[in-house]
Amino acid sequence: MSITAVSAVPVQAAETDHLSMVNCNIHEHACTRELLNSKVTLDISPKPVKAMTDLLFRLTLTGKQPAAAPYIDLGMPGMKMGPNQVSLQARSKGVYEGSGIIVRCPSGKRIWKAAVVLPGIGIAEFIFNVIY
Amino acid sequence: MSSIETLYLVFIGTGFAVGFGHCVGMCGPIVVSFSLHLESKRVLISNLLYHFGRVMTYAVLGGVVGITGSFVRVTAGIAVLQKAVMIFTGLMIVVMGLSMGGWLSLGRIFGDHYNPDGIITRGFGKMSGARSTAAYLPLGLLLGLLPCGPVYTVLITAARAGMDIQPPFKAFLTGVGLMVSFGLGTIPALLLVASLTKMNWLRSRNVIYKIGSVLMIAVGIYFVIKGIQY
Repeated sequence: MSITAVSAVPVQAAETDHLSMVNCNIHEHACTRELLNSKVTLDISPKPVKAMTDLLFRLTLTGKQPAAAPYIDLGMPGMKMGPNQVSLQARSKGVYEGSGIIVRCPSGKRIWKAAVVLPGIGIAEFIFNVIY
Repeated sequence: MSSIETLYLVFIGTGFAVGFGHCVGMCGPIVVSFSLHLESKRVLISNLLYHFGRVMTYAVLGGVVGITGSFVRVTAGIAVLQKAVMIFTGLMIVVMGLSMGGWLSLGRIFGDHYNPDGIITRGFGKMSGARSTAAYLPLGLLLGLLPCGPVYTVLITAARAGMDIQPPFKAFLTGVGLMVSFGLGTIPALLLVASLTKMNWLRSRNVIYKIGSVLMIAVGIYFVIKGIQY
């Protein structure tokens, strides 16, 4: 599994050009963000990542571990889609997995955001394209 | 309060928030297009029937997803139908836009403001026999199938709940309850949008009507294109 480190610069929520917000090529590889003293790596399979299919979300944490089980909030930047959370179960130390589905927006917009919530640490945001 | 009852409340709130933030943009043009064709006094009851039909469809979808515990299978099964409904909706909005602009005689399909002898009126009238407010119930039932991101999101929750709940009938009811909660939450925003069409100053200004007609036609074409692409 190849891992690409991406910028830890906070995503600007007010940015209207959502395409420029993409910070993760999830179709090709896992993506990593740094948060405090932790490295947060998110991978989604199978690849390429398609909407309306069952997906496996795999989170790998190095450094500080969260105070409680982490989870992922799935949503679209700038569009309310309702709460779509992926619960993650610990598989081994620092490794969590959970299944989830990214839904298809009829508007045709394909930019999705996975906000990885790490209790006691913070939130790491991964923004990527999804195939419809 | 059980976790499921809490979820019902959460999804009423979600529906309310999504209604004002998402549905107004995506489904607002639909309720505006058919509300403008109604006499002001019939806007509320027609819209309530429409939403009742829409929520009924949500309920059925929620029940099916709940009992099967599978979001992917159910949505894959109705994808073609959803595509057709989206294209149909777009065409309907285009026709109503043309009618509202005075470029096409729509007649009494959904209201009684226009020429009852119009070509489209006769065609639709024979097909459905629906020339009254009651036509909005089947319309809502049908348009409840429109592909919609937030609806999918609630269906995912219904599927997850369905996997955890036994017996199957209880899973079915939970799916129904979640989708009905969400659907009810979306109604206030769309009723508010529909009520704007009752404003006399809006209806009495021909220029605004014409601009609205053009916008409706554009929105309808957008729906058709998105439906074809879906």
